[in-house]
Amino acid sequence: MNKKGQIRMSETIAVLFIFFVLILFGLVFYSKYQTVALKEKQEELLANRAIETTLRTLFLPELICSDGETEPEDNCFDMLKLRLLNETLQRNLDDYYFELFSYAKIEVQEVYPGNATYLLYDKPKPNFKSRESTYFVITLRDELIGKGEASNSFGYVKVGVYS
Amino acid sequence: MNRYRKSKKAQIELTFNWIYILIAGAVIMLFFVGIVVKQKTVSEEKLSGEVVRILESILAGAGVSEKTKNPIYMGGLADYTFYFECENEVSNFGIKGKPAKAENSIDPVFAPKEIKTTKMLLWSLPYKLPFKVMDFLIVSSSNNKYYLVGNDADFVEEFMNLTDGFNREYLFNLDEISAKGESLQVRVIDVDGTNVPAKGIPEALINFDDDKVSAIVFTGKSQVDFYQKKGSSWSKLNKNPVRIISIGGERDAAKYAAIFSGDDQTYQCNMKKAFKRLTILTEVYGGEGIGQLEIGGKLKEIVDYYQERPELSLSNDCLNQLTVYDNNVMNLLGDLKSTASACELDEDSCVELMNIANDLKKVNNDLRLNCIKLY
Repeated sequence: MNKKGQIRMSETIAVLFIFFVLILFGLVFYSKYQTVALKEKQEELLANRAIETTLRTLFLPELICSDGETEPEDNCFDMLKLRLLNETLQRNLDDYYFELFSYAKIEVQEVYPGNATYLLYDKPKPNFKSRESTYFVITLRDELIGKGEASNSFGYVKVGVYS
Repeated sequence: MNRYRKSKKAQIELTFNWIYILIAGAVIMLFFVGIVVKQKTVSEEKLSGEVVRILESILAGAGVSEKTKNPIYMGGLADYTFYFECENEVSNFGIKGKPAKAENSIDPVFAPKEIKTTKMLLWSLPYKLPFKVMDFLIVSSSNNKYYLVGNDADFVEEFMNLTDGFNREYLFNLDEISAKGESLQVRVIDVDGTNVPAKGIPEALINFDDDKVSAIVFTGKSQVDFYQKKGSSWSKLNKNPVRIISIGGERDAAKYAAIFSGDDQTYQCNMKKAFKRLTILTEVYGGEGIGQLEIGGKLKEIVDYYQERPELSLSNDCLNQLTVYDNNVMNLLGDLKSTASACELDEDSCVELMNIANDLKKVNNDLRLNCIKLY
């Protein structure tokens, strides 16, 4: 009778042990899955933010080429505004532009005929892990260079978002 | 005797086992029911968060691309009610009854207070004062019906042409309204102020809920009043007339924004965002110190260019237009900046912006003939 009870007790302990092992296995599997899913979600959000920030930059009234009342020219930056824009963006960074661009770096690179680089905005995320960059080809219009007509050069805008 | 005692013990053990199983089973079941309920709540919150995030992306995309109209088919979201609010220059939108919401203090969104629809309509219009300040995003839906009444033929024609795709109708008389439908929201647009509030609530709208019928009335060239149905009469929402700050012309973004805004408070709240951006843009064009007539920004580049080239035949005249004549670019940009800053705090100051912007527009048009233009 005593021996039978001992066997039953061992049986119960074995069943409980397996039960907890299975629960532990389930928890480990679930947490791994959640980590991977979270990482994928973060990457998706980062890519979305990169596209959104690029789009906002391309249509920024502070940069876009205009001609009086006519429609602004798409994918064209006005060099007369661009050259000094960094100062304005820096001055209003915390109370305005941070909400527009968040943690990002926006640069304009002239490709032809010159090769000047203009840093417009840079707000790195503290301890950032990576930076997702997108590029977009643009025209750079400078009315001070052309004789009568504005001079156009080519370049690209590089928008990197920190994660 | 021994057998009898043993049997009783077994009986008690058996009953105890069943009670134990029952309690353990109930606890386990409760545990899983709890998980399911919790998971359901979490999933719903997650879904509403995802919906709000996606809608935020759509609004951001639609907002930056000028003059575009985008229909958004809501599909499974047609049963949700989206709300749009704006307070202290921060607008937020989300799903009614759900915690997830998106806040934005930069982009103005002009929308009815609530939208429940199968098709949302997004329309982006550039706001210029006189240079482009930003794009206004107008949000409406197929369930929002706009009735246009009054005798401003030019505006009526422009409105009907521009709002193609929106649920709108021009009426000769307010009594011609024949609106039906539980989910329909009606906005009456009285373009000359002769119908609302004088003629009362049209018969067809009497049975509508008060919050589903509203009106906007143009009482002057750049002045509107907002009304809401209250029983069988109109109740005015704004204490003082709401001014439309714009330089007029076709596609007047500020005017259209008022038409599609939920009420006077959300309209003015969103307009303040535009005035904030205008202040910053004057710095881009004229420099930080343009309010004190210290030139910088794009204006300085143009002025320096002409000062370094006195040999150019038109240099003097261009410089005069930029910094010397009564209505010169430097003074006007300075005034625009000071007035825009004041306008952020006091609505009465905003009216002056229209005169300054119109003057700057004239000077810029003159510059465009022979000089480097400001914008």
